[in-house]
Amino acid sequence: MLTVISKRLTQLVPTLFFVSVLIFGLQHLLPGDPALVMAGEERDPVVIEQIRRQYRLDQPIPVQYLHWVRGVLSGDLGESMRLKEPVLDLVRQKLPVTLQLAVMSMIVALVLGVTLGILSAVYRGRTLDHLVNVVGLAGISTPNFWLGIMMILFFAVELGWLPASGYVSPFEDWRQSLATTIMPAFVLGNSIAGVIMRHTRSAMIQALDSDYVRTARAKGLSEGSVVLKHAMRNALTPVITLGALEFGTLLSGAVLTEQIFSIPGFGKLIVDAVFNRDYAVVQGVVLVTATTYIALNLLADIGYILVNPRLRA
Amino acid sequence: MTDAPADVVLEVEDLAVTFEGPDGRRTRAVDGVGFSVHRGRTLGIVGESGCGKSVTSLAVMGLLPKAGARVSGRVVFDGQDLLAASERTMRDLRGDRLAMIFQEPMTSLNPSYTVGDQIMEVLLRHRSMSRAAARERAIEMLRRVRIPTPEQRFDDYPHRLSGGMRQRVMIAMALACDPGLLIADEPTTALDVTIQAQILELMRGLREETGAAIVLITHDLGVVAEVCDEVVVMYAGQVVERASVGDLFAFPQHPYTVGLLGALPRFDERRDRLSAIEGAVPDMSAPPSGCRFAARCPFRIDRCAELPPLAPVAPGRLSRCWRAPLEALAA
Ligand SMILES: Nc1ncnc2c1ncn2[C@@H]1O[C@H](COP(=O)(O)OP(=O)(O)OP(=O)(O)O)[C@@H](O)[C@H]1O
Ligand code: SF4
Ligand SMILES: [Mg+2]
Repeated sequence: MLTVISKRLTQLVPTLFFVSVLIFGLQHLLPGDPALVMAGEERDPVVIEQIRRQYRLDQPIPVQYLHWVRGVLSGDLGESMRLKEPVLDLVRQKLPVTLQLAVMSMIVALVLGVTLGILSAVYRGRTLDHLVNVVGLAGISTPNFWLGIMMILFFAVELGWLPASGYVSPFEDWRQSLATTIMPAFVLGNSIAGVIMRHTRSAMIQALDSDYVRTARAKGLSEGSVVLKHAMRNALTPVITLGALEFGTLLSGAVLTEQIFSIPGFGKLIVDAVFNRDYAVVQGVVLVTATTYIALNLLADIGYILVNPRLRA
Repeated sequence: MTDAPADVVLEVEDLAVTFEGPDGRRTRAVDGVGFSVHRGRTLGIVGESGCGKSVTSLAVMGLLPKAGARVSGRVVFDGQDLLAASERTMRDLRGDRLAMIFQEPMTSLNPSYTVGDQIMEVLLRHRSMSRAAARERAIEMLRRVRIPTPEQRFDDYPHRLSGGMRQRVMIAMALACDPGLLIADEPTTALDVTIQAQILELMRGLREETGAAIVLITHDLGVVAEVCDEVVVMYAGQVVERASVGDLFAFPQHPYTVGLLGALPRFDERRDRLSAIEGAVPDMSAPPSGCRFAARCPFRIDRCAELPPLAPVAPGRLSRCWRAPLEALAA
């Protein structure tokens, strides 16, 4: 257990270093000059020069990088050129939104994916199995933007049940918050549910064919107990890992969906930042996302060990 | 077969199992098998790999897959026909009156639960007892199967135990509710020789204590000689000979049994001894219409193109061979 954690932690430093160099480097390859963007219409050379100096854009990239790293290590992610706000504050504002969406999407994905996966494994080869597989495949292959737009058209425009876009914090009004996030959560969860369903199905089939499930039946246990206790406990172990990884991608992968539903989360933050050459924000968001992703990996590993008695010791 | 009928715990008559593959191909894995098991006695079922021993025992337990396996005949346990019983009735019997242990001790326990939990589970399922009482009983069962320091083993996960220990746990679990019948499907095949002997000794002791009837499935005629009272010899899904152990070893009445005994192991060659008879088992999806052993039988005659019935050849014994009794043939 400790070795796994320390192994992950030692991976963390070089990974983050690599990621940060990559974003830093790629970003400066992008066409467009942030100072020009900032200066606006007039393009007054004096103003531009001043902005360059203020944000150290006049210095060589490695120097800029070192400066940034020094800031990060002391807990300072820099300042947004556009919004004139510390990046850390922006992250603090937007992360909870994305996190809420990710958690809700994951709940949708797990409930749908695990339930359908178990059903199709139990009824394998029969009509229900085929049906679930078709639905699952459709879920994976439906583009998020299309599903999102269709849901807006149907539930918001046609039926008027849900708001088409916008976001309300659960601390203000949790009902309204749920109403604004349920559609994007379904869209995001749906695409992951298909993957989770397939993994659950194959893991469950393997578990249901196992000798210990035969033993459970030989004990006279009910089918429910055989499936949901004996088989599922073993089958869900790999699904946990998958879930944690998918959760990581939700943090960064919701760009399009957040855009469609106008959810002011990480996705929107980063898109705006990229278009405005707001380097510090892009770097900050990517860094936080990468760190979270790696931390989730670690949590998945720990979870895997905890549910797997052979690895505990 | 000399006991009074009241002593019969399990009576299997004309049991047949047909598997239907996804391609519609049918395999009659078990074809008209019959035997009876008496209280406190052990019946051995012997035969080569693939002759239908496991399928027979799973059919008795009602554990064959619902889809794909067609079962017919009669399986009467304690006066009740199990093949006609509802799934609910079967679930109530399994683990309680009817118990089974398997060939694969390494994989037959659930790796995610402690052995104690797994034994308690069967008690809580069939007996209305508190968790504390079930725990006590589970520990007592571990002690009865001679697992050292059972209080500590109780909380172990299966991966901490050796194959022999896991099989003891399986036995403890099977006997926890005092079953009337224990089916042991090659319980020692996967274990090494000294452990095999210990497990058999244990089963013999437990049979005396509990009075359970035992069906012991095995490849090993040595095991049969040591533990069983009666024997059923199976070949290609059918019973070819039924006799008491003494009679079978003294005067085998079917050429296949003769072959088995002739190929009786020396102690250094324990595996595969049944395949020491020349030739191979017939394909069960297209079995020969005559005697199924004909292709390998040294005593074959023209009449063997017709399937012989399982017929009495001496008091208390049956053989499926046109040329039985075989004494006259001994050269
Ligand atoms: N679920 C199943 N579907 C189709 N065929 C099966 C199934 N289970 C068993 N069979 C077939 O039934 C036949 C008998 O198998 P069985 O497992 O009873 O043999 P066995 O006598 O127990 O052999 P072994 O000594 O190797 O355990 C085999 O030909 C096997 O392929
Ligand atoms: S019936 Fe014929 S072929 Fe079959 S075992 Fe007897 S002698 Fe051999
Ligand atoms: Mg078998």
